[in-house]
Amino acid sequence: MANLLSNMLTPEFFFSILRISAPILYATLAAIVVEKAGFANIGLEGLMMFSALFGSLFSYYTKSWFIGFLVALVVGVLMSLLMGFFAFQLETDIILVGIAINMMGSGGTLFLCKVITDNTEGKAMASTTGLITSSLCIPNISIPVIKDIPFIGGVLSGHSFLTYLAFLFCFLTSVMLYRTSLGLNIRAVGENPNAAASVGVSVLKIKYIAIAFSGLMSGFGGAFMSMSYAQGWSQDMVAGRGFIALAAQAMGGGECFGGMLSSLLFGFAQAMGIKFSSVGLDSNLASPIPYAITIISLAVFGVIRQRQAKKPRTAEGT
Amino acid sequence: MTKKRQLIFSLVRGLLAIFIALVVAMFLIFISSEGDNAAEKLAATGEALKQLLVGPLFRLNAAGISFEGKRLADILAAMIPTTFTGLAVCIMFAANQFNLGAEGGAMLGAFSAAVIAIYYPLPKGVHPIVAVLFGGLVTAIVMLIPALLKVKLDVSEMVCSLMLNYIIMYIIKYLMNNYYADKSKGQIQTYPFLNSSKIAMLSSDSVISAAKLTWGFVIAIIAVVICWLFMYRSRFGYQIRMIGINQDFAKYSGMKVGFIIVLSQLIGGFLSGAGGAIEMLGRYPTFSWSALPGYGWTGITIAILAGNNPLFVPFAAFFMAYLQKGCDMMATYANVPTQLIDIVQGVIFLFFAAERFLAKYRQSLVVKTAQEEIAQKAAQNKEGGQANG
Amino acid sequence: MAEEYVVQMKNINKVYSNGVAANQGVDFNLKRGEIHALMGENGAGKSTLMKMLFGMEQPTSGEIIINGESTVLSSPSVAISKGIGMVHQHFMLVPSLSVAENMVLGMAPRKGIFIDKAKAIEITKENAEKYNLHVEPEMRVADIPVGMKQKVEILKALVRGAKILILDEPTAVLTAQETEELFKELKGLKEEGYTIVFISHKLNEIKEITDRLTIMRNGRSMGVYETKDVSKEDISRLMVGRDVVLNVQKDKAKPTDTVLKVRNLEYVNEWNKKMLNGISFDVRKGEILGIAGVEGNGQKELIDMLFSLDTPDSGTAEVNGKSIISIGQKKVRDAGVSLVPEDRMLYGIAGTASIEENVISDRAGSKELNSGPLFNMKAIHELSDKLIKEYTVLCKSSAQQVGMLSGGNIQKVVVAREFSNDPVLILADQPTRGIDVGATEFIRKKLVELSRSGIAVLLVSADLAEVMELSDSLIVMHDGKIAAYFEDTTTLTDEEMGEYMLGLKEQTPEEIRRVCHD
Repeated sequence: MANLLSNMLTPEFFFSILRISAPILYATLAAIVVEKAGFANIGLEGLMMFSALFGSLFSYYTKSWFIGFLVALVVGVLMSLLMGFFAFQLETDIILVGIAINMMGSGGTLFLCKVITDNTEGKAMASTTGLITSSLCIPNISIPVIKDIPFIGGVLSGHSFLTYLAFLFCFLTSVMLYRTSLGLNIRAVGENPNAAASVGVSVLKIKYIAIAFSGLMSGFGGAFMSMSYAQGWSQDMVAGRGFIALAAQAMGGGECFGGMLSSLLFGFAQAMGIKFSSVGLDSNLASPIPYAITIISLAVFGVIRQRQAKKPRTAEGT
Repeated sequence: MTKKRQLIFSLVRGLLAIFIALVVAMFLIFISSEGDNAAEKLAATGEALKQLLVGPLFRLNAAGISFEGKRLADILAAMIPTTFTGLAVCIMFAANQFNLGAEGGAMLGAFSAAVIAIYYPLPKGVHPIVAVLFGGLVTAIVMLIPALLKVKLDVSEMVCSLMLNYIIMYIIKYLMNNYYADKSKGQIQTYPFLNSSKIAMLSSDSVISAAKLTWGFVIAIIAVVICWLFMYRSRFGYQIRMIGINQDFAKYSGMKVGFIIVLSQLIGGFLSGAGGAIEMLGRYPTFSWSALPGYGWTGITIAILAGNNPLFVPFAAFFMAYLQKGCDMMATYANVPTQLIDIVQGVIFLFFAAERFLAKYRQSLVVKTAQEEIAQKAAQNKEGGQANG
Repeated sequence: MAEEYVVQMKNINKVYSNGVAANQGVDFNLKRGEIHALMGENGAGKSTLMKMLFGMEQPTSGEIIINGESTVLSSPSVAISKGIGMVHQHFMLVPSLSVAENMVLGMAPRKGIFIDKAKAIEITKENAEKYNLHVEPEMRVADIPVGMKQKVEILKALVRGAKILILDEPTAVLTAQETEELFKELKGLKEEGYTIVFISHKLNEIKEITDRLTIMRNGRSMGVYETKDVSKEDISRLMVGRDVVLNVQKDKAKPTDTVLKVRNLEYVNEWNKKMLNGISFDVRKGEILGIAGVEGNGQKELIDMLFSLDTPDSGTAEVNGKSIISIGQKKVRDAGVSLVPEDRMLYGIAGTASIEENVISDRAGSKELNSGPLFNMKAIHELSDKLIKEYTVLCKSSAQQVGMLSGGNIQKVVVAREFSNDPVLILADQPTRGIDVGATEFIRKKLVELSRSGIAVLLVSADLAEVMELSDSLIVMHDGKIAAYFEDTTTLTDEEMGEYMLGLKEQTPEEIRRVCHD
């Protein structure tokens, strides 16, 4: 136990929390903005899978991580707009659209990976890990001055630039929601779409913007997964982060700062799981920890919410 | 709208959704097919499509096409677990609960049944029944977690059940690694199931046993009938459906909404677990799954195709199994990756669930019906007036 | 002369996707600078017509001409750009935003990429002064009174350049004083050349403020009139198609034992408004007790408490001596209480289920309808066929989807269920709202019949004629309290009722206490 603790109180451990939290934070911001606009996007998981795949593939083909990164963003946005088309134009239940995107994101990405690599490399590959070298990954940044501070330097410096961007985006998203007219419109559409429509705000447009934003964030998250967190794409690599983000959104009270704290909590849980397995615990027992934490925190959040509600509309059984 | 018009509408809509999915598939096959120029690729696409559409039942070769009984048996066998998960999702979705736990449920049921099949010798005949029931029960109990959290604390059953899938998978892997694995084997697998626990083949016919088409198929069909009776001919199924349509109405009518919601998910859990168990005991000698089996996701598609009506589940399951077989055939004979099914499935799913897909067509039918009714009413009034006058 | 019209709607038809024909061949026009009343009962198609003028709905067929130009109003923004503004009955405001933010929503002033909040407040203040409509720019909309919300709504439209204002039942939520203030403001706007559509069914208001009026009934226009040329009686006859006096045939009530006993109910809602303030009354076997009042004075909350849909802060309610407070709908129903809910689409039916499935919802577990683990389908068919016949539900078969029926037939399905389960007490909340004359008459007759057979009936209705003539005795609710009790409704006048309903008068506690028959 002492061994574990000394293992945990290292800069590397806190460094890993930030690193692990970053993709969850992106997805959480996506979840927050669509929720403010009045709906839920449960397809974040699938969106991240698509972005991760195409990001790594294009990084490889163009020999430029930056182009790969941009492609990941574009793919995220395009796929989310497709979701929007089905959800808003064809009025498919947004939850079902999300399920469909996740289905495609799981097997469909593998199909595309095989087809694309088969056509270009001459043999179908089940992952892109063999293609991505560290030079094709998103670069890490060491921050001058800070990197030399003991402990803190080890925690804060040397992250992928997408990690820093994630926390910056947390701030920017909050500003966007509360200080800009776009944010005003998003909140109005989410709270009372009729009110927004009655003053000529296009509810449809705002919803598209919100879902495109969630696609953009998923793009960041996906690019991070395949070009920084891991070197290359592999099947189901997002491993439920898109779903964890939905929980983080709820636990953070739907606000950016709260969402960030929740993401960090999940980052912490996962980092701890990794530490556990490093001291000999079966990784299969450590891996489910973040998922279990999600359920437990949702339940705790549920209790708190119930206490806060001044007058719950009582009804039998609910 | 009249019933007949509604039926026609549903039919046109379903077929068009499938057609669109096939067009998408065709496009993907085209880009993935081999060939140096468009003409060659087109030819290859044609070959692959033939495999996809006809291959599941017929052998295609230079001599022409011939029916393959083995392939049909394969499809029927593949329907068994997905019929169960399809039924499970039907019942959970009917209560408007987006519980996506059938995936983990199938794995948990399979594993639980495997434990009984290996370690608890029972008489032949009784053994598989006990194992399957146990698998179903364990899963049903685990499904209490999302169900109760939803009802008591309003925790999203969707997120919760998704998390549960991962937890189930990892814990089973942990248990396998540490307790149940047969260490003498190279891969991680349990000791073999006792012979008494195996579910018998439908017949000793070589085609049937090669396809591993077991009595599970008959049980699945019986389950379909029972589920239909439950949903459409019993007060509990009725309440599940009413809650799904309008929960406020159900509450106002005096139904125990919370209890019924929990019940629907218990049943869903049981069915998915039992499906996994039947699959395991019928088609495998040992438990060796190291990942989620995918039956739960297919079950969701099946439930959507079936419109949450258990009676349509076997047809949807057949369709999905046929499609899967077609994709497998393409993978074998035309080198198209088998995961094409996930994309095709997603597209069909999207269009099937789209409210406004063909809405204009629907609206025109509605308007037509309304106008007819108005005309009819006017005619009646006129008659009534004359009669009175 | 066509030019004098700012708006002409010609031969407008609207069929909703559920098959309801809300407008049939409606003609409607507005002259520049007039206040034009649009009248009609609930469900007559007024709102649908105005939603089309404001671009929220599209006509199935017909033409809309604005300022002499044929126009397609494909969305509210198009309508706004044509100078049309609408103040909805349910305010189109975002509660968590401030008044100023609501005001500039969709046209927020900017400083760089940020909203210029100071400018937004300035705009609000400026316009409030210009049009003489006082509002508090920095307060959250959730925290301001109803009257101010309405002013925010009117200002919102004016700020966006509206020259034609549609006001959907603007006085429904206002106090008498606020209404007076509103009228002054509207007259001011009229003098400045604004055209106003005023939707209402309050005859006095129409007479006071409007120049012309269009009356609608059952989705059709009943004609356009100069307000000064038509009498109130004419208007009401055109609106409801016959004299408002219903002449309900009923014998004198012979009430016996007390069934429902309510004492001192208190309830503060989530916005801290006291909705029930010491409500006490009794309903006896064999009588219809009516509750009149302007909507929003606690009637809804009272029904919620009586049907366990909510829990009061204090007070008791008993049916035949047993408490029915917060015991759940199942037990309330077991105690013999039936409810015809105000919102039938929300509570009354499962729209995509069949008629049959809807009439058994409260008794699906009963012995009569089950045999063993399964339904006794024969008994269920018999029951539903019997009810369809008895309640003259117009349908093809009991397997037809309820949501596809007309409003009146849907309501018949609801009352068929609620009246047929041997109730001791029927709570009828707006039982005939928005349904056709035939169904209305049927349901009213049925209520009288049931009360005379010894059932206690509590009738809540915003329809004054209905509540006055159907009830044996009557209470008036105002501001969460009982303002008056009338043991006998036959001698009551509309004027008297109005004074109590609007809170101008209140009976003494002793007079009110007579409704408790201890």
